[in-house]
Amino acid sequence: MSTNSIMTIENLQAKIGDKEILKGLNLQLEPGKVHAIMGPNGAGKSTLSKTLVGHYDVTVTGGDIFYKGKSIKEMEAEERALEGIFLSFQHPVEIPGVNNAYFLRSALNAKRKHEGKEELNAAEFLRLMRGHLEMLGMKSDMISRSLNEGFSGGEKKRNEILQMLILEPEVIILDEIDSGLDIDALRAVSEGINKMKDGKRSFLVITHYSRILDYIKPDYIHVLKDGRIIKTAGPELVAQLEEHGYDTIEEE
Amino acid sequence: MKLSTLKNTQTQELSTLLQVKGREQLLERFCSIGLPDKQSEAYRYFDVEKLLESDYTVTPAFPGAIGIGEKVIIIDGVVSTAPKGLRIYYKECESADMEHFDPMYFLSHLLSPVIIKIEVDGDAELEIEHRFTKSNSLVPYRIVLHNQANRHATIYESFTADDIENTLVLYGYDMHVAQDSTLRVVKMHSMIDSRYAMIASHKVNVAKQANALIKSFDLGGGQALQLMKIELDTYAHVDASHLLYLNKDSKRGTVSQMIHKGEHSTSKQEAKNILDGKARGIFDALIKVEHSARYSKAEQNSKAILLHKEAYMAAKPQLEIYIDELEASHGATTGQLSEKQLFYLQSRGISYTEARKILVIAFANTLIETVKDTRQQEQIKAAFEEVFYTTHQRG
Repeated sequence: MSTNSIMTIENLQAKIGDKEILKGLNLQLEPGKVHAIMGPNGAGKSTLSKTLVGHYDVTVTGGDIFYKGKSIKEMEAEERALEGIFLSFQHPVEIPGVNNAYFLRSALNAKRKHEGKEELNAAEFLRLMRGHLEMLGMKSDMISRSLNEGFSGGEKKRNEILQMLILEPEVIILDEIDSGLDIDALRAVSEGINKMKDGKRSFLVITHYSRILDYIKPDYIHVLKDGRIIKTAGPELVAQLEEHGYDTIEEE
Repeated sequence: MKLSTLKNTQTQELSTLLQVKGREQLLERFCSIGLPDKQSEAYRYFDVEKLLESDYTVTPAFPGAIGIGEKVIIIDGVVSTAPKGLRIYYKECESADMEHFDPMYFLSHLLSPVIIKIEVDGDAELEIEHRFTKSNSLVPYRIVLHNQANRHATIYESFTADDIENTLVLYGYDMHVAQDSTLRVVKMHSMIDSRYAMIASHKVNVAKQANALIKSFDLGGGQALQLMKIELDTYAHVDASHLLYLNKDSKRGTVSQMIHKGEHSTSKQEAKNILDGKARGIFDALIKVEHSARYSKAEQNSKAILLHKEAYMAAKPQLEIYIDELEASHGATTGQLSEKQLFYLQSRGISYTEARKILVIAFANTLIETVKDTRQQEQIKAAFEEVFYTTHQRG
């Protein structure tokens, strides 16, 4: 991989509670590229995504994460988000009483304020939303409902992608984005993700299965096992993993 | 005058002191219960003794001419203005509930020989603003309110105060919700930086097939307790909700008794409490279903969120049931803001403070959004945010 990375993870070690999960993980994300992380259960895939966005569960015990050349290890979650790091959650939380549109506008305006731009009023915001909703096949009443409350699995994932489209982040981490999606939802979500590809943004697709990679074409496949990246290759590695599983992969 | 001195005063002396001529029964009742103290069930969590120990000047209510205004404004217990056509006048109190559980109900009656009577005609909407302007004062006054049968009336009640201190307001309603009518009362009591205290003791009678919807929004600091006894006749319904959002060292809340007297009467009581700083919230609520109230339904619930380790919620939901033919439930929970929810908001670039504010408002929203009038709803939300930002720096 080239040294021109938007995010560099160096010898990252992290634990949740007393359990050490990431054990010296190295990874570079290139601008404009789609990186897929695959690995068996318990390898540390979700912990990696949590660590990158500063989740309170995770304690970093060693190594560092550099985003655009700056360490973000000590940054709060909201700062990381404002700087352009976005995680699409595997299980987005439900927040009864928080109107979805109000939440989305608050998030967008926080980002615009951070970037020195004018905040959007409700009417401007709704105009911006309309096209995105249509593209994702979301009913317009979904934005007037409470955030994720009573949403189906597919609706929650579409709502995550809606947030991504609105916030326009630069590093996009998709944690099991395909879980719980039927074919139509998978197609709509993938379309939203592919729309964000602009040659500059970097994607980190964390997945168990290769199905999502039929829709979002990866540039690199990284195999994560026992808290470390043990192999990096091109998309052809997917077929090998499908056929032989993770046990046959040897550390490089 | 120190109210605590009434404790050791003989009935005869009290009769002269409080000029109770013609209201001896009230005095007798008050003397038999006595002034509340730390041991009194209804005041267990409220620092009433301190208030009774303070020295006050009793503000005499001199009823004067009532001017015309958009709303009823009551200044230090005296009606200043009222909307044209509203039947509002002073008169001697005709009756009080001699079985009321609260001694301060009787004391406020004894100290208010003349009451303010309001008769709400038709499907009216009425605003009542209480204003307090005097420091070191005891401000006693009572309101008797009637609505019309078969009609739907709404009362919006609010409170303002000048920069006063060491004043105790003793006010309360005797409310009569007429047969087949609906009376909706929305009380918004924000006490940011207020240094007066309030004990509001109410009695509500809900007649046959009538609906009483009582919503109280108690926000900010200060010391205030509302005590209400509500009686339900056959097929009567009451829906009482209480939102408490306190900070600093505030002690506020609701002590209530909901008495089902008539068959098929229904009650729903919901309290949501958000406590910051060293605040103490009080929800001490009894639902009593009498022998005569078969086929009643009663539902009671209190939820509290503590935003600070020194905040405290005294929640005591109680049921007292004398029959088998009914449906009843009650419960209370106390917790904190969800870390998962906070993180989700922060992960979208929303600051910690704003994320907390969003979650606090979300918790309260289910009650705030039941206020139909948009302007009133916005006022409650604005007051809510103001309270939030007195203890949290804007993000």
